[in-house]
Amino acid sequence: MLENYVPIFLMIAAGFGFGLVMMKVNEWLGPKSPNAEKLSTYESGMEPVRSARERFSVKYYMVAMLFIIFDIEVVFLYPWAVSFKELGMAGFITMTVFITILLVGFYYIWRKGALEWD
Amino acid sequence: MVEQLIANLRGFIPEVSLAVTFCVALVAGLIVKKHQQEFISVLALVGTLIAGVFVLIYADQSQTLFSGMIVADPFATYFKVVITLCSIIIILFSQYSSEVQQTVKRMGEYYALLVAMTLGMFLMVGATNLLMMVLAIELTSLTSYILSGYTKEATDSSEASLKYIIYGALSTGLMLYGISILFGLTGATDMFGVNQALAAGPVNAIALLIASILIIAGFGYKISAVPFHFWTPDVYEGAPVTITAFLSVASKAAGFAVMIRFFKVCFIDSNVVGLPAGMWASLQGFEWNNLVAILAVLTMTLGNLVAVWQDNMKRLLAYSSIAHAGYMLMGVVVLSDKGVAAVLIYFAVYLFMNLGAFYCVMLVANKLGSEHIDSYKGLGHRAPLLSTAMVVFFISLAGLPPTAGFIGKLYLFAALLDAQWVWLAVIGALNSVVSLYYYVRVVRNMFLRDPEGSAEPVALPVAQVVILLALVIPTLVLGLYFGPLVDFANASVVMFGLP
Repeated sequence: MLENYVPIFLMIAAGFGFGLVMMKVNEWLGPKSPNAEKLSTYESGMEPVRSARERFSVKYYMVAMLFIIFDIEVVFLYPWAVSFKELGMAGFITMTVFITILLVGFYYIWRKGALEWD
Repeated sequence: MVEQLIANLRGFIPEVSLAVTFCVALVAGLIVKKHQQEFISVLALVGTLIAGVFVLIYADQSQTLFSGMIVADPFATYFKVVITLCSIIIILFSQYSSEVQQTVKRMGEYYALLVAMTLGMFLMVGATNLLMMVLAIELTSLTSYILSGYTKEATDSSEASLKYIIYGALSTGLMLYGISILFGLTGATDMFGVNQALAAGPVNAIALLIASILIIAGFGYKISAVPFHFWTPDVYEGAPVTITAFLSVASKAAGFAVMIRFFKVCFIDSNVVGLPAGMWASLQGFEWNNLVAILAVLTMTLGNLVAVWQDNMKRLLAYSSIAHAGYMLMGVVVLSDKGVAAVLIYFAVYLFMNLGAFYCVMLVANKLGSEHIDSYKGLGHRAPLLSTAMVVFFISLAGLPPTAGFIGKLYLFAALLDAQWVWLAVIGALNSVVSLYYYVRVVRNMFLRDPEGSAEPVALPVAQVVILLALVIPTLVLGLYFGPLVDFANASVVMFGLP
């Protein structure tokens, strides 16, 4: 049963390998002019180490949540687009239903003002 | 492909109509003006009614849908009828709940989420794939987290929601872990596949036991069985009464449905012959029903004993509902169609009496602004009809004749004695005696104590009286004329794919 997963393991290994190779190549070939700001960890423009006793805006998480929802929509749209002909009418109907449901959600968050920053 | 899709959708129409109702109610909540928000409740009511009608139209089908993800069979149909009835009653309740009516701005979300929760429960009762099962439980849970925190202004409501979500996340995690072990043992996520794999040869008994315990933790949380019950009193107290009532009946019904189906389909041994009609055996001598028996004893005993000390009516009913989950678990223990039928009968009965009790608490809270047991003093003279109705519900919950609760308990105990589980039946009977004490305590306060403070009569509008009667009359009638219900339940123990 486990051999069914070999392609997935290969994929994971390839992914790690690609990342490692690119990082190392960058390290060897790229020009280096380090300063304190450059060496600090980057985390969405926030300071990496701060006090935990701090309030943060909920908007940030709202946007992240909405991003995930629409990101997943795109994840489903791509395979559908690739195999559009094979799936035919059934695929089209299914995707229409899926997108309609997402549109209802989109309309909801729009009217609720979740897309506005202030 | 298209034909297959349409054929599948035919068995799925009730769920589809609920999904459409959800979308429509959500959008309507945004479009409709503030003073016309009752329109949304009508929308939700009509949508749920349509779903219920479709359930009844396709009641006789027994087929598997969407490549074995879900089945539509008599067992699921019975629970769908109970859940639909419950959600219709809750939508009606909501129109008279002052807690819900205060939040006019978010009414669309309230009804949309109520419909979504109903949809989740419909999926739960039909799920035959473990992943579909988890997904359905999650849909039900996520909506109930939001709804129990619906009255944002009340801090205890937010507290309830937070406790519920933390507890729910933990249980779902445990359950998923159990399912992953089960998948590791059998290589199938389909319940029938799990059954075949277990029938084909012995698996590691300890791993199977651990997987079952973890999965029971997930179910136990849904039906609030001890020791997975800790969220129940706090959530029931903090959530709006309508949601509490919904959780205590429909959510529990769906939890039982999915639990019975999971254990029966996964662990039934179809090769054992010579058992009495309507009984079945468990695979590989795996006595999962002993686990459930322990759970049943703990649940009803703790529920009843703690309920004795409660002074808040919602907490009292919360512990009472834990105890009732314990009674119903006894029906699961016996591995017989009679036991399952007894659970089905109990749920139909429980629907009316428990919703009725919660409705009375809601009406009293609306009028007096208190859920404390002391505020019920002398209520029998101030609101005779309401108090009498409450007495009927409480007698029924305690399981005394001539009410419906007696019939529910009668069939449960009959099934137990039939399967030689005498000690469990004795514990159940003793528990019923304990429960009588705390129900009668409220009745005593209403009729034998003088009112504290105001003694003015409490008047009820006609519509509320009608809803009250619609709950009292079935509670009484089902205690005397229960033939059709029993026949319906006996016909509904049939599950797809099982003999």
